[in-house]
Amino acid sequence: MSNACVTLNQLKFSWPGAQRLQLDIPQLQIDTGERVLLRGPSGSGKSTLLSLLAGIHKSKPGQINVHGHDLGKLSQRQLDRLRANEIGYIFQQFNLLPYLTAVGNVELAVKFAPARRARLAQRGVSVRAAAQQLLQHLGLDHNSQQQLAQHLSVGQQQRVAAARALLGAPALIIADEPTSALDEAHRDNFLKLLFQECDAQQSTLLFVTHDATLAPYFSRVVELEQLNQAAESTHV
Amino acid sequence: MFKLALASLWNRKASAILTVLAIAISVMLLLGVERIRVQAQENFANTISGTDIIVGGRTGSTQLLLASVFHIGSLNQTLSWQSYEYLQTLPRVSWTIPMAMGDSVRGLPVVATTADLFSHFKYGNRQPLRFAEGQAFAQLDHAVMGAEAATKLGLQVGDELTVSHGAGGVSFSDHDDHPFRVQGILQATGTPVDQAIYIPLEGLGLVHGEYVHEEEHGEEHDHGDDHEHGHDHAVHHDHAKQAPPVYTLSAVLIGLEIKPLALRLQRQINTYTGEPLTAILPGFALQEFWRSLQLFDRALLAISSLVVATGLLVMLTTLLASLRERRREIAVLRSIGAGPVTIFTLLVSEALLLTIMGIAVGVGMLYGLLFGFAEPIQMSIGFQLRASLLSPTEWTIMGSVLIAAISLSLIPAWRAYRNALADGLTVKL
Ligand SMILES: Nc1ncnc2c1ncn2[C@@H]1O[C@H](COP(=O)(O)OP(=O)(O)OP(=O)(O)O)[C@@H](O)[C@H]1O
Ligand SMILES: [Mg+2]
Repeated sequence: MSNACVTLNQLKFSWPGAQRLQLDIPQLQIDTGERVLLRGPSGSGKSTLLSLLAGIHKSKPGQINVHGHDLGKLSQRQLDRLRANEIGYIFQQFNLLPYLTAVGNVELAVKFAPARRARLAQRGVSVRAAAQQLLQHLGLDHNSQQQLAQHLSVGQQQRVAAARALLGAPALIIADEPTSALDEAHRDNFLKLLFQECDAQQSTLLFVTHDATLAPYFSRVVELEQLNQAAESTHV
Repeated sequence: MFKLALASLWNRKASAILTVLAIAISVMLLLGVERIRVQAQENFANTISGTDIIVGGRTGSTQLLLASVFHIGSLNQTLSWQSYEYLQTLPRVSWTIPMAMGDSVRGLPVVATTADLFSHFKYGNRQPLRFAEGQAFAQLDHAVMGAEAATKLGLQVGDELTVSHGAGGVSFSDHDDHPFRVQGILQATGTPVDQAIYIPLEGLGLVHGEYVHEEEHGEEHDHGDDHEHGHDHAVHHDHAKQAPPVYTLSAVLIGLEIKPLALRLQRQINTYTGEPLTAILPGFALQEFWRSLQLFDRALLAISSLVVATGLLVMLTTLLASLRERRREIAVLRSIGAGPVTIFTLLVSEALLLTIMGIAVGVGMLYGLLFGFAEPIQMSIGFQLRASLLSPTEWTIMGSVLIAAISLSLIPAWRAYRNALADGLTVKL
């Protein structure tokens, strides 16, 4: 329990207006520092589970713990604050504000996250320097760092998104199919860099994909359909 | 937050600029209408001051006011010289200015009067007429020009001018055989005085063939020196026993020694039995006339308010339309920890920014127009538009526009808020 980053208990969730349960998960635990691959067919509720973990939606019955906080007991404000401080989120694509530069997008990470800013201050680096350093590690040279996000290639955009998720060392990195828009070579490179940085700052990684070939890279693979008691009904 | 709103707006600058422009034009219109209204009222009230009663023949009070003070329209009914003499005998009358109108010089009104005009007529805040050049007329072929009239006709002291019968620009009967010589030019007053040309009553009488100069008439030869100047006709102020210079007058301005007597004298004049007369108190008549214009005034204000509403609706439309393409942007902000309230604030501050810029640009355009066109407007219609500082009313108008804009922006803000909660991080495009 002490080194659990995420725990779920008796989670039951259905979308408002929907008849059936979308998720029914008796138990799930992800330890700190783990790299978990969450897998499941399209529409099985992977993204739904992630938004529950990120505190975007609330599940009435059941308990979710993230980084020691019981999400059910937090207010909307506290949930937003927890997400800002402790969760780095990477989307499938369109992660960036097109009108900001690459660096500007990365710096956004600390806008609502005092804890992340504090961690950077503790390390004695400015937000700008940390952002540039991360981008450098992820393979964006100084020129592309200053470019507007809308002028970057998809691969570059995903790396900028990763840098933003990582900046200020949040406890949990959530990646929702971040490689599905990338070709194989870019995908492997992206994963390698993501793992490196997660390791460097000891962030837990929860990675969602329906791509079976990625399994070997991860310390654990969770099949949502095995976990989710409501899964049978999704199959027609 | 404001910086982010600004960057986001800049990203959509085409629609943002159009929105700002729509608001700017509507605000400019509204402020412009308000300004013209207020300054018209000021100009209006400033046209005459110190005159207690205006008397004319049987006519409407508005018509008398417009004709005697603004030289607009004509008076069909005149009052006789006998009535004028009666008016002079009324108790406590300090001065009188008789006016005969109806002639013109190239469309500009000619007012035949006495030199008393220059000593007694006052405008604005009791300001007397002053001469920029020359002096008052002393002989019956002299003329005094209003400032604008002199500029428009390009006349200077010493120049000659011919008076035409009737008020039209092109006259059918020019009184060519009796030219007038410009004796003086008045300083600009910003009132209808600037537009007019003043000649002595005797001059008008001569032109119209009503007045026969004593010399030609062969009556009393008591002028002495006058004879030596050949065609010099002297103006007389002591016509009591002579033939009058003109038989009829258009209006008479009266100044009293005791102002509160005006009301009683007005009644007395209105009930004069010798001839039907109309007496008006210029202050009251101006107010009354202004009130009758108020409907027009309100309509103008209502229309420009509607234009502002249209401008704000343009903003509402563009904001609502932008929400669709910005769902991604909002999801990204949510993912980095922005709460729904922050999204709400973002939308409102965007509207605030657009409106403030719109108002600023609108005010800028208004002053641009004021500086650019105040001069030509003054020249053409004698209406003085000052580029003065923004009045409290104008600040109130701008404040109301801002408040209206913020209230309207609550609609897209609320929708964004709802979207932010419902979509979460999974945006279906
Ligand atoms: N915001 C929402 N409101 C209502 N229903 C939703 C919402 N988001 C998702 N759903 C429903 O939840 C179900 C699961 O969607 P979800 O996005 O979690 O699937 P997924 O496993 O992530 O699929 P994919 O692999 O295609 O991304 C779908 O049937 C969808 O209709
Ligand atoms: Mg998904």
